[in-house]
Amino acid sequence: MSVRALIVAAALLLIGPWLLPPFYITLANYVGLASIVVLGLVLLGGAGGLMSFGQAAFVGIGAYTTAYLSIAYNLSPWLSLFVGLAVTGGAALLLGALTLRLTGHYLPIGTLGWSVSIYYVFANIEALGKHDGLSDIPPLTAFGFSLQSSNAFFYLIWIVALLALVSINNILDSRFGRAVRSGGRTTPMAEALGVNTARVSMTIFIYCALLASVSGWLYAHFMRFVNPTPFGLGTSIEYFFMAVIGGATSAWGAIVGAGFYIIGKQWLQTLIPAFTGRVGQYDVIVFGLIVIAILHYARQGLVPSLALLLPRKAGGRVAHHVVGSAEPLAHRDKPQPGTKLLQIDRMEKRFGGLAAVNGVSFDIQAGEIMALIGPNGAGKTTMFNLITGVIPKTAGRISFAGHSLDGLGSRQVMERGITRTFQHALLRPHMSVLENVALGAHTRGRSGLIAAALRLERKEEARLLAEAKKQLERVGLGDQFDAAADSLPLGKQRLIEIARALASDPLLLLLDEPAAGLRYEEKVALAKLLDNLRTEGMTLLLVEHDMDFVMNLVDRVVVMDFGEKIAEGKPDEIQTNPKVIEAYLGSVDECSPLKHAV
Amino acid sequence: MLALETRGLTVGYGKANVLHGIDVAVGEGAIVSLIGPNGAGKTTMLMALMGLLKSGGEVRYFGEIIRNVDVEDRVARGLCLVPERRELFGDMTVGDNLALGRFSGWLKGDRDFKATLDDVFQRFPRLLERLSKNASTLSGGERQMLALGRALMSRPKVLMLDEPSLGLAPLMVREIFRIIADLRKTGVSILLIEQNARAALEIADYGYVLENGAITLEGPAQELAGNPRIVDTYLGRRQSAAE
Repeated sequence: MSVRALIVAAALLLIGPWLLPPFYITLANYVGLASIVVLGLVLLGGAGGLMSFGQAAFVGIGAYTTAYLSIAYNLSPWLSLFVGLAVTGGAALLLGALTLRLTGHYLPIGTLGWSVSIYYVFANIEALGKHDGLSDIPPLTAFGFSLQSSNAFFYLIWIVALLALVSINNILDSRFGRAVRSGGRTTPMAEALGVNTARVSMTIFIYCALLASVSGWLYAHFMRFVNPTPFGLGTSIEYFFMAVIGGATSAWGAIVGAGFYIIGKQWLQTLIPAFTGRVGQYDVIVFGLIVIAILHYARQGLVPSLALLLPRKAGGRVAHHVVGSAEPLAHRDKPQPGTKLLQIDRMEKRFGGLAAVNGVSFDIQAGEIMALIGPNGAGKTTMFNLITGVIPKTAGRISFAGHSLDGLGSRQVMERGITRTFQHALLRPHMSVLENVALGAHTRGRSGLIAAALRLERKEEARLLAEAKKQLERVGLGDQFDAAADSLPLGKQRLIEIARALASDPLLLLLDEPAAGLRYEEKVALAKLLDNLRTEGMTLLLVEHDMDFVMNLVDRVVVMDFGEKIAEGKPDEIQTNPKVIEAYLGSVDECSPLKHAV
Repeated sequence: MLALETRGLTVGYGKANVLHGIDVAVGEGAIVSLIGPNGAGKTTMLMALMGLLKSGGEVRYFGEIIRNVDVEDRVARGLCLVPERRELFGDMTVGDNLALGRFSGWLKGDRDFKATLDDVFQRFPRLLERLSKNASTLSGGERQMLALGRALMSRPKVLMLDEPSLGLAPLMVREIFRIIADLRKTGVSILLIEQNARAALEIADYGYVLENGAITLEGPAQELAGNPRIVDTYLGRRQSAAE
């Protein structure tokens, strides 16, 4: 984030109360209160891909907790803030456990469920005043000063909003933030790189509930009155609109979206009756139309769309990384070349009645490149998924570097030193090349959300980025850190994927069709890279259909057909093996397709 | 007569032009291969020819400019695209996928497609074996066969194939190219996009090289296959048993 933008914003806020008429100060307070909630949605929805239609409920929990405690028990609002955070955190933990398992559009629908319920909890509890709510909430005081005036509250609200903004920006630009932006459960890639997606989802869900709770606390003491209405589904949807309008991928978008919505709504409420002579909620209709228009013409929202109008950075750059030197990360000791690294013993996988893998056994030795080949549907990808723990096996044993991998999940297998790439390069399109590769080093760092928000992890972050840079240089992409990963041709995307896998410090690298779709020149470069990796002591297992590529590169080949191993041996043995020729290669004199055609 | 011809074809996404004035011609009954690196704009070009993307310049289909002809109408006139990702209807059976290939004709009241279906089964006996299986359960090679079979159901005049060999085993790659070469007898004109440049040029009459959104080389396929620059970039010097 640009520090300059922040300074300008802070300066504007400082002089704001002298420039704005009192009515607009109050309006600005509402904008600030909403911004704090919408900033949470930027992290949760824009970055984490988890859309919630229930944020107003968390605002309500924060507001009602402080209202009730400060009225009924005369508790200091500063104490009830923390009680409110605790209550909200507990509620978020419970609701998160119930709903975050849902995927796709079921998650937003799930959040609608508890959003509606919590509203009725407020409206039905006697002690909370039912539909009438609670009034005469004490004002805030600090160091003997009353913060009752709109101006004083303006500063308080906007200081909190700016802190929330800085925290969100800090989080997004960190190890934890990369995990948030990794696509979570929508892609097998995140878990395969060691990201605990369930935990990351829960953490950001709680954090953005806490932001909403703080907004509720401020609201209660600013209005000094609460009732259930502003914490219902309608408000939750308004927060959602603000995020969409401003741009859910940008922290500044949250503030712009909140401002646009709240001020725009105010204008429409005055202007429409003035022009039409009708009084009614026409502003809501107009906003509905605006949202549809934005989805059509500026889908990313106002801030990202306006940013596109600025002079474009050259070469599809999405970031400007300055990677300094840092103490290198600790790495694993390479196993002695020639020792058995991976042992697969009578592996079996059944889908219903179909045996996708049927009693396959083979070993991989440290420091060799092995290829797994066979016709489409022979069970090669299933084998990869079994080794990496993506799917559970039906029977058989598998051990790696002397330890059993039986029963381990994708993340645990990865933590033991096996990293894979995917058939279709699964890069995060909007992250820079360097960030994509740094995601690979996820398990080599520790820092979480709090450290990231407070920037306490800069030393570790520097080490992670330096590692990513090192691996990019290793695959020959040292000059393209800042480009958007999806702006590069497929050949380079494959190399980025390999660099990302290398950043995890693997002992065994699994490559799923690394040469598919590459042109000859790129294949030659890829083969050279893999050969170099072998020289450096890396062990590789690859699935590949390009026989030129395979036979000139690998040390040994395992051939599968119909879920069974039909051959194993050196490339020249495999190429002349009659079984393999029949099932897979075809005979040499049938080389030209034209011979069949005429 | 030319089955398909473009003059100065341009396509852009937003402000960026992906194709800058492409001139390509496919003669009636010919197989024309278009090779080039990823991201050169090959798939974009097929999408534009199919009418799925807005384009500038001229596209002629059997001599007639088809600028204002929409996708459904292009299908009805016999232009057919087999997309790179096959795009089968995964939750439908092989039989239903094939029947849908005939949808355009069915709309016009042509409900008898038994003969066409038999022809497809003759080319792809495997599809007959899998007739009542869901398309999503097919292997990679079978999927490509189904995609081709579904295209043939519409009795196309011009068939556009986007990387039919992608992700297939050597034996299956050869089978697919054999089938494509065999289609020549039916009189259909074929525009073939391939990464497997060697095989693509081997079965083609004429070839184009598309790089960075422009045609950089063209010529009779056998001539292109001997061009040193093509050999270095796309073919490789060694002949392999696998291809």
